[in-house]
Amino acid sequence: MIALKRLLFGSVLIALGASGAVAQEVLLTLTGDVAGGEVKLTRADLDALEWHEIATSTTVTDGQPVFRGVLMRDILDRAEANGDTVMARALNDYVIDIPMDDFHEFDVIAALYMDGIALTPRDKGPVWIVYPRDDHGVLADIRYDMRWVWQLSALHVQ
Amino acid sequence: MNRLGARWRYSGLGALIVVCLGLLVIAASNIIRIERQMQISVTQNMTWIFGQTQIEALSLSAALSNDANSDVVLLRYDLLVSRLNLLRDGPQWRFLSEAGLAEGLMGWRDGLLRLDPAEGGDPAALKAHVSALSMALRQKASQVMSREWQVRSERLDQLSKLHLLALAAIIGALISGAALAVLLVDRERRLMQARLDRLRAERLQRDLTHERAASEGYRRFADLIAHQVRTPLAVIDSAMHRLTRSGKPPAPEVIRTKADVSRQAVARLVRLTDTALMMARVDRGAVAPELACHDLDRIAATVIEDLHAGNRVTLRTGNHPVTAICDPVLTSEILSNLLSNALLYSPRHSEIDVRPLQNGELAICDVCDQGAGMTPEEMAAAFENFVRGARHRDLPGSGLGLPLARHLARLQGGDLMLKPLEGGGLTARLSLPAKVVT
Repeated sequence: MIALKRLLFGSVLIALGASGAVAQEVLLTLTGDVAGGEVKLTRADLDALEWHEIATSTTVTDGQPVFRGVLMRDILDRAEANGDTVMARALNDYVIDIPMDDFHEFDVIAALYMDGIALTPRDKGPVWIVYPRDDHGVLADIRYDMRWVWQLSALHVQ
Repeated sequence: MNRLGARWRYSGLGALIVVCLGLLVIAASNIIRIERQMQISVTQNMTWIFGQTQIEALSLSAALSNDANSDVVLLRYDLLVSRLNLLRDGPQWRFLSEAGLAEGLMGWRDGLLRLDPAEGGDPAALKAHVSALSMALRQKASQVMSREWQVRSERLDQLSKLHLLALAAIIGALISGAALAVLLVDRERRLMQARLDRLRAERLQRDLTHERAASEGYRRFADLIAHQVRTPLAVIDSAMHRLTRSGKPPAPEVIRTKADVSRQAVARLVRLTDTALMMARVDRGAVAPELACHDLDRIAATVIEDLHAGNRVTLRTGNHPVTAICDPVLTSEILSNLLSNALLYSPRHSEIDVRPLQNGELAICDVCDQGAGMTPEEMAAAFENFVRGARHRDLPGSGLGLPLARHLARLQGGDLMLKPLEGGGLTARLSLPAKVVT
């Protein structure tokens, strides 16, 4: 509980730190079966959701970085998404279908911070889909590794 | 020698079990290692990652050539930097370093960052740098692919080696398992043989004991003949000798006395033969009792009368008649036997009591004498064929009376027991099934 409070406090600090223009910049665009056919989420929208942390190994980095972000299912609920599959699209037009069940079975987050440093498009940001790989043996598999979309920019629900 | 052989067999078995289990453990550990190594990771997709970097370089180059708007150029620039950053990350960088392809890559990245369009970098210089970079990347791409295939092949070699090792271990385990099975089956066969031998030995032992008992019986029978048949024969012989002695013919009283003595001797012989015959019939199972309800008091009274023993024997009947389910002929035989014994082995003129009584579901007839009684050893041996009390060997008797009486009692569902009487004497108790009056 204390940890959660600190986390919320931290996120508020980060939100205050972000300039107004950055807070209003669209980070994620959700299309398909969502409220009104299209939902654009800004940094301010994500700040309004509950934030979580996952410490996990990844296939492209060393060690066990700590990721901070919001739950994918919270984002989809926020957009009133209704479907079986989410087609995730990255800035470089990398596209992959992710079953909606993943987000309910596992605490998959849309990470905005890695080891306390904000992810940018020059790295794997602004949003990186991160699975709790170390908590579930089944996730250490190429079929799940392919769903770790970095530079996530859009989600299409169908 | 045999013990040494057994020890060898046991240590051989133990060694085989250890070998078999050890090989199975090796096979299992190899299979687990194979399972672990079979997982594919994204890092093994270096050709794709490298290709993407190349594509981003070409895309940025194209955007710069087409004078695209600054947002597009910035995005392309960011993406190219992100790909180079990805190559710099741990697993990718190790792969490139091991392949000797890492050299110079970060120099390209630093050059790129110095020409950052967001910070007013020179577009022409940037374009030239990116073109040169994409050329350099193209040269390395084929090397990345060949390196990746080499790594994969090595991994496959490793896997197939582990696989072969596991297979060999399993085959070894199979062979030692088969040897183990053969040894165990052989052991089981030996055990079975030993059990059969033991059973055969036990049967032989039983047969031997039986034979010994039979031969003991014959010995006692010979003893009986010596004592019990010879005596009356000697009496008769002596009487005949006296009657046919030369000289004065015997007086009529002497003739009668000798005839009486001879007849008594003959009667003894006949009784002996009857008892032996009856025993033989009982032994053969040729005696079938005809069971019915009979008054035990009346049977006892008739026996006493037949033995002309009324002067010494008292029949003490209770208030109620005792009804037994029995064969009257066999029961008379038993009681006659018991009474004869009592008359024979107790002092002349001493009293003998016969007491029929009912005890629950048993009809009992006690024959109590005031004789010398029997020692516990004598009582234990009394029901064996041809056994006679040491103190009475010269009294007439077959040694078959009590065994026969007990056989006859048991034939009728009853029993016969001996027990000492308080104050000297012996009680022989015949018990038979009673007719229970409801």
